Amino acid sequence: MIKIYKKDIKLFFSDKKAVLLTFLLPIVLITLFALAYGGMENSDRESKPILLPVCNLEDSDIAKTIIADLDSVKGLKMEIMKLEDARQKVIRGKRAAILIFHQGFEDSLNLGKTLPIELQYDQAREMEIGILQSVLISKLMGNIGKSGIQKKVNNYILDKYPDIQPEVLNTIMDDLENDFSGNENSKNENNFQTGMALKTTSLVGEKQESALGLIQAVAGTAIMMLLFSVAGLGAGLIEEKEAGTLKKLLYSPVNPSYILYGKMMTGLTVSILQLLIMFLFAFFAFGLNISIDIPSLILMILATAFACSSFGIFLASVSNSRQQVQSLSTIIILIMSAIGGSMMPLFIMPEIIKIAVVSVNYWGIQGFYDIFWRQLPFTTVLIKAGILFGIGLLMTIISVQLFRKNVLKLV
Amino acid sequence: MIEVKNLKKKYDQISALNGISFKVTENEIFGLLGPNGAGKSTTINILSTILKPDDGEVEINRYNLKSKPIACKKSMGIVPQEISLYDELSAIENLLFWGSLYDIKPSIIKEKTNSLLKLFGLWERRNDKIKSYSGGMKRRINIASALLHSPKVLLMDEPTVGIDPQSRNLIFEVTEKLNKEGLTIIYTTHYMEEAERLCNRIGIIDHGKIIAQGTVDELRKISKTTENLTIKIFETTEDKILKLKNTLVQKFAIEDNILIFFDDKAISDLPNIIVKMNESGLKISNIEIKKANLETVFLNLTGKKLRN
Repeated sequence: MIKIYKKDIKLFFSDKKAVLLTFLLPIVLITLFALAYGGMENSDRESKPILLPVCNLEDSDIAKTIIADLDSVKGLKMEIMKLEDARQKVIRGKRAAILIFHQGFEDSLNLGKTLPIELQYDQAREMEIGILQSVLISKLMGNIGKSGIQKKVNNYILDKYPDIQPEVLNTIMDDLENDFSGNENSKNENNFQTGMALKTTSLVGEKQESALGLIQAVAGTAIMMLLFSVAGLGAGLIEEKEAGTLKKLLYSPVNPSYILYGKMMTGLTVSILQLLIMFLFAFFAFGLNISIDIPSLILMILATAFACSSFGIFLASVSNSRQQVQSLSTIIILIMSAIGGSMMPLFIMPEIIKIAVVSVNYWGIQGFYDIFWRQLPFTTVLIKAGILFGIGLLMTIISVQLFRKNVLKLV
Repeated sequence: MIEVKNLKKKYDQISALNGISFKVTENEIFGLLGPNGAGKSTTINILSTILKPDDGEVEINRYNLKSKPIACKKSMGIVPQEISLYDELSAIENLLFWGSLYDIKPSIIKEKTNSLLKLFGLWERRNDKIKSYSGGMKRRINIASALLHSPKVLLMDEPTVGIDPQSRNLIFEVTEKLNKEGLTIIYTTHYMEEAERLCNRIGIIDHGKIIAQGTVDELRKISKTTENLTIKIFETTEDKILKLKNTLVQKFAIEDNILIFFDDKAISDLPNIIVKMNESGLKISNIEIKKANLETVFLNLTGKKLRN
């Protein structure tokens, strides 16, 4: 087995172009996905903010305050411009939307009426608009919504009780402010005036130093590319068949299963190397802190590499031709990557998680999330690694049985 | 050394082997001749242990193939018809790898590799990748790779297909040398002159059966073809040949305007043949009587040419 492994490793590294592609292609893809997911936000470079043109048709002070407030949101840059110029930018695809403060904004706010505020957008950029809307709504609700309700309450009391003493009214309004802020002891004057008191609390990722997007890019892409690399094991066996060397191996006293184990060991070595290079690249290029939990990282690399290489020999044992290897590997890898979260993070398609559990990608990505994002203890990572080892072991047993049954048909 | 008894093999409902039996004694070169589909490859695949027979027994070097397949494998070297080498590895790397599969000390394999590279005239090119070798050179390494574990028996399946005359001669010389050193060889080929030159005995296989076996002289006697009558004609048409076949008792084949008569009786019946040829409109250019070769023996035994 070791002799077959040594020969396969020698053959693998003798093809310089293939070796380069095996390691370079995932690096290129990781870079692209990291950029797409905003994975560089923790590196020295700043990510580009979304530019949102804003037209203050009324030119009121309250509108200016709100615009300044929105401008302070990380990743959002407000551009004050004329309505027609802004529209042209959207029409030409230079910007996704315009935020318009229409005439009567301040009066409507004081009277507690529906606010004349509008977001005009390019329908083709719905995904970007969705993100913008969620940011705008949360900020505007924090700002305008509270002020509007306070004004309404103020007007209502004055209307019903015109003789109310100003001290009593102030006390009522102070209590209301405390209710809004959710903190009885908080009497921050600035909060009331600017409406910026939006408290956010994250249960996950508070401690983490690495961007979620970067972890998604590295883990997701690396596992997907790993599967494509090990699919070459299946093709390798077909190549041996075509070259007649498989038949010659069977002439020798070597146990046929060892041919498969030798190929699996080659896949395991290449997979471990590939994952190591991917994480080192992420460390040097994007500042991913790979030293967070080295034992867990080593365990996950070994488990992922084992599961992926078992997939490689599974392909080798069920395919009889190059076409079968190509079609089968493409279909299985794309499905596993799609449902397992390699192509898109699972938090944006939660309903898929039910079926994602059958995917090697899912357990691999979740394991790496546990290490880098959730920073969970070794025992938790061990469960995910154990599942990957289990999947790998099951696939290896099935593959060996199938190979023993089919190997003579191959020659 | 090798004994094959009543070997049978069916693929679905088609019989590939119908009870093949033959014996190869120690230090003998036994030729296995047969047209495509005769059962030659099936026999080779069974002997090389990659195919299980439905029935029959095989003994190689006193080991039963069914009960002691590993021992059989270890005492056998197999030269497959196709060149089975790793193109991206050098000749020496290939040989060291193939040798390493037989549980032999690395130092012995290394020594054997070096001597085989010298024997096959490839010592100077030992570090070159196989992909840079000519077809003949690859064939030589293909044979060398089957000899690394010093087998007692060598199975050579069409080892000279598609190579240059120089490499072919070298392979003949090496095969003869190895045989002189005590190696028992089963040699399959389409080339009659190879079988005639190398083989002590020949088995002719057709329709999954050995239809005759023995030395070339014994086969001549079996096929009653010690001499061949050949008649060259100026020109011919299918009608004229058909007319002649219908009027003559003797069987003949036609190749390049030459009629070849297999049966020795044709020589004594020559005057009658000439008359019938004239009646069929065939004009004779030349008449020859030659000692029968393996080609005509084969033709007489099977009714077909070996290379169709």
